[in-house]
Amino acid sequence: MIIRDRAMPSVDLNFIGTAIVIALIGIVLIYSATWFTQPSLTIVKRQILWVGIGLALMILFLVVDYHVMVDIAPILYGIGIAMLIYLMVFGRLTANVRSWIHIGPFQFQPAEFMKVFTALMLARFFDSNDRAYLNFRSFLMVTAIIGVPVGFIIIQPDFGTAAAFFPLVAVAMFFGGIRPKIWVAALLILAIALPIGWTQLKPYQKERVVTFLNPELDPLGDGYQVTQAKIAIGSGGIHGKGFKQGTQARLDFIPEHHTDFIFSVLGEEWGFIGVVIVLALYLYLILQALTFAKKARDRAGTFLVICLISFVIFHVIINVAMQIGVLPTTGIPLPLISYGGSSTMMFFIVAGLIANVDMRRFVNA
Amino acid sequence: MRVYRDDQKFLQFRINALLWGITAIFVFLAGSFWFVQGVQAEKYRGLSEANALREIEIPAKRGLIMDRNGKILADNQPAYSLGVDRVVMRPIVKRDPNHRAKLIQFMSTVMGLPPQEIEARFEKVKVIREDPVILAEDLSMIQVAEIQSQSIIFPELNIIPVQRRNYPYGTMAAHVMGFIGEVNDKELAQHPGQMEQGDLIGKRGVELMYDNYLRGKDGAEYWEYDSHGRRLSEYVPARKLPIGGDNVYLTIDFELQRRAEQYFVENEMVGAAVALDPRNGEVLAMVSSPAYNPNVYSRRFTPEVYKVIQSNPFKIELNRTIQGLYSPGSVFKNIMAIAGLAEGVVNPSTAFHCSGSGVFFGRRFRCWKREGHGEVNVQRALKVSCDIYFYNVGARLGVDKINKHSQSLALGKISKVDLDGEKAGLLPSTEWARTKRKSAPKWYPSETISVAIGQGPLLMTPLQVANSMAAIANGGKVYRPHVVRTINRGGKQLRVAGEVLSEVKLQQGALEGVRRGLWAVVNEPGGTGGNARIEGLGVSGKTGTVQVIAQKGWVKAESLAFKFRDHAWFASYAPGDPGQVPSMVVVVFVEHGGHGGSDAAPLAKLLYESRYKDKGMSARLDLNNPETLEQIKEGDLPLPPKAR
Repeated sequence: MIIRDRAMPSVDLNFIGTAIVIALIGIVLIYSATWFTQPSLTIVKRQILWVGIGLALMILFLVVDYHVMVDIAPILYGIGIAMLIYLMVFGRLTANVRSWIHIGPFQFQPAEFMKVFTALMLARFFDSNDRAYLNFRSFLMVTAIIGVPVGFIIIQPDFGTAAAFFPLVAVAMFFGGIRPKIWVAALLILAIALPIGWTQLKPYQKERVVTFLNPELDPLGDGYQVTQAKIAIGSGGIHGKGFKQGTQARLDFIPEHHTDFIFSVLGEEWGFIGVVIVLALYLYLILQALTFAKKARDRAGTFLVICLISFVIFHVIINVAMQIGVLPTTGIPLPLISYGGSSTMMFFIVAGLIANVDMRRFVNA
Repeated sequence: MRVYRDDQKFLQFRINALLWGITAIFVFLAGSFWFVQGVQAEKYRGLSEANALREIEIPAKRGLIMDRNGKILADNQPAYSLGVDRVVMRPIVKRDPNHRAKLIQFMSTVMGLPPQEIEARFEKVKVIREDPVILAEDLSMIQVAEIQSQSIIFPELNIIPVQRRNYPYGTMAAHVMGFIGEVNDKELAQHPGQMEQGDLIGKRGVELMYDNYLRGKDGAEYWEYDSHGRRLSEYVPARKLPIGGDNVYLTIDFELQRRAEQYFVENEMVGAAVALDPRNGEVLAMVSSPAYNPNVYSRRFTPEVYKVIQSNPFKIELNRTIQGLYSPGSVFKNIMAIAGLAEGVVNPSTAFHCSGSGVFFGRRFRCWKREGHGEVNVQRALKVSCDIYFYNVGARLGVDKINKHSQSLALGKISKVDLDGEKAGLLPSTEWARTKRKSAPKWYPSETISVAIGQGPLLMTPLQVANSMAAIANGGKVYRPHVVRTINRGGKQLRVAGEVLSEVKLQQGALEGVRRGLWAVVNEPGGTGGNARIEGLGVSGKTGTVQVIAQKGWVKAESLAFKFRDHAWFASYAPGDPGQVPSMVVVVFVEHGGHGGSDAAPLAKLLYESRYKDKGMSARLDLNNPETLEQIKEGDLPLPPKAR
């Protein structure tokens, strides 16, 4: 049986509820960011649709036993790779990137789903690998599982999305286990390679790094987004300017303010209090997931939860940190809050799968 | 086979490590936000406002200038200027490199100006400011419509409603009023924090001297703009209303001023006239003819006009009443008479014999009348303007005493009138010759003889002559002349008081003698100023005719070319009958006019008539006719038909 009815009552409603609350906050913020420039509210309406579809997908990925999905992971993984190859051959160029598949009026990014499939594939691999440390062969296996989709995505070329696979690498290395002496060796190599690499960078690449380190140097150029976002967040103060009262986003000073820089709208309108509340919600979501990972029935469940929540951790930290210039600007959306169909659906699937693992911790196969 | 988590102690440890790591990172992130939103909030709030709000200046209405009776001589008229908003233009040019050329082409067509001129106006503004740059003024309604119809293609073009300074009577009292213009760097430095580039400021005359009152205080509106430079809505709480400038009432009497100006224009004369109230120093009329049209000056972008003005042979920018330095000629005999009587070198009955010429310090000096005047005392000497009498007085006084008495009667130094650019003139003395006259440091007594009849190195402005005449009329008080009477500030009238700069104690007998002489000049048969006589008013005055170049013998003025003709003076006051208090001084100076009695005195008569006799006399220019007004404003003062 795929659906086990007796497992349903033990679903963690706190976890699911937190995800939904975050998504609702996202809708409010997208409204704040776009009501002025887009009075027709198309973007808000679409996001509501995405959240609806996301909820449906979440339920789907909740009720289907994760073991089944781990079992069919190679098939899903294969389909994902096939889509990426299809993109490479037939993909339409959108903003110089072939990352969207168009089906009728809809378009989606296969790479987002590939993240989940790769996580399932890794869970499947670690399910049957119970050593404390990876040996050379398993290291190569893990590298291949992650490396193949990343390679195809880099060809698109979409470095931002490719970078989003990094948390899987970190999980594989940290939880799969790398011997300390190898860590030391890797760090040493890095320490030597960095200065050499700097000299090999092209001038514009160096400029980006410098701008990242000091965005005020060039407020109208590369540092523009961060400077404007910082102004928005800083001007919000403790209490914020209030709902719909933010000027930075409304007046279009922040580019991408309903996608990558949505958090600055939160900072401006709801202030430090709003920031702390949303950060607390994310932290609660993450800590709960990690608790699920510890309590999971089997290695597959543990690794699946860790792999999936690592995406959330990565996206939240990178996105929030770049708002105030702690990390450089990249096209990483804020999970469940940033506008976007593929991203929203993907994170609802992630939430569903994590709850799925938790729900089935007492159930015997 | 599945592996169960119980065997995986190392996994537990690693998950716990991640858990604490994540918590630490979140605390760090929250701390970073605290730094930005709690500690630096004020800084970013300021930046946020500066980001979204742009200040749009609302210019204050400049105060009106009116004559002493409230007739408006300078007001403000609604007009349209064309501004280019560079903040809006920048992103458009970035997208379409040809946009600037298209814009210049379009503006060139609309404005009817060569593209180079438009380009030059663009280039003129070196500083990139947020305020729209003014590219054209006084747009016609057709131009406004043409520009607005293209606002989709050229969103950076703004039609800006402005208040244009307007002088409804054109050249009327132009030298008193002055004109306004765009503030320059020097003036910006003089008014720190008060003015911005592009603001208008008084440049000459009352517009300059009373600029602080007239200017008012500009207001501002704060508008939200988006990052594309699109104007959204006004932030009303920040609005600052402009404070209009104070209205200024001149001492000038419109009717007197108009008649005096018309006299010069009708008779095609170049010269100056001043009417003063000797009781308080108020300037009732101040004419310098020909005059410029301040409406032309108070515009931007008219270099060709400046060229025309500067090349005008009659120096229309010069305010001849305070900047024109002229030899006083016989008008100086008043001062000589006062000085001689005050020093006691002559008394009212002392008489000299005039035979047409006399020898002083070994040189023969001629009287203007070949036949001579016979016996002359002070009264008759003034009446017939006998040179020989004053040669004798001058010889007895010496140049330094002449200098001393001239100075105490307001000559040789600025009168401190409330206008800019006043000149001090020149009074000779032995000291002056030694220190200033490098070519001939020694003063010869024979030079004093020339000075005694107002010739030689002696220069004064018509206003100085008027001021000295006022002192004679009021018994020795030298007032500070002023052209502004009251300033209306916030409903309160600030009165410019008559200020006595100095006072000479004149001997009653001496003063009487001089006054009787001046009365005789106009009112007795044989006086040189008979043309100014008005029955019952007792106009008293002195004519003067100044040789421009030395003539051999006696020559008729009319036979000489214009620029070699003599200057004509008439300095007078009224009423001057015994026992009356004079209430108006009129000084008329006509450049190359010929004779003081025939060319300058009639204007004085006209002004006295206007003031004392026929207040109701109808104006010969119909100033209620809008067409005439328009012509006057444009500077084409129509010549009225000769009334006589």
